[in-house]
Amino acid sequence: MTTLTLPLVRPAPTVGPRPLAAWAALTRRRIALSAHTPREVLAPLVTPILFALVIAPALARLIPTSGPGGVDYSSYVIIGTIGLLIPLSCTFAGIGVIVDRTAGARRELIAAPVPRSLIVLGNLAVALLTSLLQVAALLLAGWARGARLDVTAAGFGWFAAAVLAFTVFMYGVSEILANRIPTQEEYVGLTPVVAILPWFLAGSLFPVTAMPAGLAAVARALPTTHALALLRYGLLDPNGHGLHDIWGVGDTATAAGLSLLVLTAWATVLTALSLRTFRRSAVT
Amino acid sequence: MPVRHIAAGPAPARQGSAPPGAEGPALEVRQLTKVYPNGVRAVAGVDFTVDGGEVFGLLGPNGAGKSTTIGMLTTAVTPTSGTAYVAGHDVVTEPLAARAASSVVFQDSVLDRAMTGRRNIRLHAQLWGVPSTSAARRTAELADAFGLDALLDRPVDTYSGGERRRLEIARALVSEPRVLFLDEPTVGLDTRIRYELLDLIGRLRSRSAMTTVLTTHYLDEAERLCDRIAVVHQGRIVALDSPAALLARLGPEVLELRGSRDHQGALALLRARGLADGAAFSVGTTLTVPLAGSAREAADTLAALGDGASSFTTRRPTLDDVYLQLTGSSLTGD
Repeated sequence: MTTLTLPLVRPAPTVGPRPLAAWAALTRRRIALSAHTPREVLAPLVTPILFALVIAPALARLIPTSGPGGVDYSSYVIIGTIGLLIPLSCTFAGIGVIVDRTAGARRELIAAPVPRSLIVLGNLAVALLTSLLQVAALLLAGWARGARLDVTAAGFGWFAAAVLAFTVFMYGVSEILANRIPTQEEYVGLTPVVAILPWFLAGSLFPVTAMPAGLAAVARALPTTHALALLRYGLLDPNGHGLHDIWGVGDTATAAGLSLLVLTAWATVLTALSLRTFRRSAVT
Repeated sequence: MPVRHIAAGPAPARQGSAPPGAEGPALEVRQLTKVYPNGVRAVAGVDFTVDGGEVFGLLGPNGAGKSTTIGMLTTAVTPTSGTAYVAGHDVVTEPLAARAASSVVFQDSVLDRAMTGRRNIRLHAQLWGVPSTSAARRTAELADAFGLDALLDRPVDTYSGGERRRLEIARALVSEPRVLFLDEPTVGLDTRIRYELLDLIGRLRSRSAMTTVLTTHYLDEAERLCDRIAVVHQGRIVALDSPAALLARLGPEVLELRGSRDHQGALALLRARGLADGAAFSVGTTLTVPLAGSAREAADTLAALGDGASSFTTRRPTLDDVYLQLTGSSLTGD
């Protein structure tokens, strides 16, 4: 047996792309793929739009009293459906992750000289963009159907922050599930549990205080509850009844700050976990 | 399985001047090992060095550890122990630099099928940091060289299997990698497309200073394309040499004996008469014996033995024989 060790001459440093350029390329790729599968964008809109245009006004007719804080019930439910729209949108985005893994270019991306977390962050950027467009479409539909929104700059800021944080949180959940669940069928089977069940408990159709105490306590821990309270505080209810139902503190801005903190913490943790899950699934 | 021969030496000298930037080995692998969490030892301490511009083959059956080795070199699999350098970059401590110096063509098609071929190539160029003007020029060159001109602006969904494979190789080359990994590039392709692809891969050698690492279980592919071949068996390299040197181990001729009831007896007789040389091996009911003497004399000897062997033939050895000798049941005939 002959062993020959040749001198190892270090080559000139090999450079890959700048991270921002790589992230932009990955984001453009995901946009292009989403554009080829419009169901990813359109399908999550169907149920919330149905709620906004048909179910909310019908319920408002049945329940002639105003919603919490004197807001009209139809508007209350329309904003509440954002809490369904974003989870559905992010869940559909997760299907793209599974397709990438099973029949797409994921391994090529993993072999690229870019930090692998950029692959997840590129997908997240597109999930955010999609959610923003869908929320805008839902609000437009609600406004056309007669929703009465109370829009101020500060209120819009709270609303936008809640949409962003809640989308980041939900995309983190979807990315983790998409990387851990082997098949698309199993993943889709989890959608009702992940996207729909928390919505019913989170004050989407009625205040959390209307539920039994035990369930209300569970609801107060759900990120969806904090998101919905912030969304309504931002665009519908400046008195923040939903926030007071959660925190029981007198100052609305403090309650809003606390809910945004909770939501941001959830978003940060889930994003970190999703990056870790992706790296673990990408490298054996 | 004992290691019969490992010659982890340099590649045979190639004609022409050394390629720029190819000083030192393109790949250096020392005691590389991968044990999966379920306890499977997929790669069990392999050593090899591949020079710049060399075409190096990892040859072995499914499950031999070839793809895991490629996975470690492309940083998709974390080594359990050992070291590996790609273009001088440690795959564990400098994974980005190692990946920047290499490209991979995977065993299965790994493309964004909804996008056009051009878009797939452009994405690779962007991720490997190729300036857009250079990427456009190289894409045009590669499309011309690989017969992809008419296909590039069609969605990949509409490509045939062979077209996809050509696109994947073109995509891998657009970043001008120092090391190109081809993991079973012809698996699943029909014979005609397979040979066209082999021709194409063969042409890469003449137009580029790039190092190519090819995994295959097709021996003819390895013989046709590779400067050196590492035969991998159960996670270990059991032989490493040029195809010619590997073939020379079996001598100019082998005798193949089918249906014999007594392999050991036949082999002992041939040995006693000085007709058998080197290590004989058997697979199923077939005994293959490297011949030292004349084929005619060996045939006469076996005919006289009369043990019911259904047939025997003599022929030139192939890499199949080398491979089977290294990985099958060896017989001593003593």
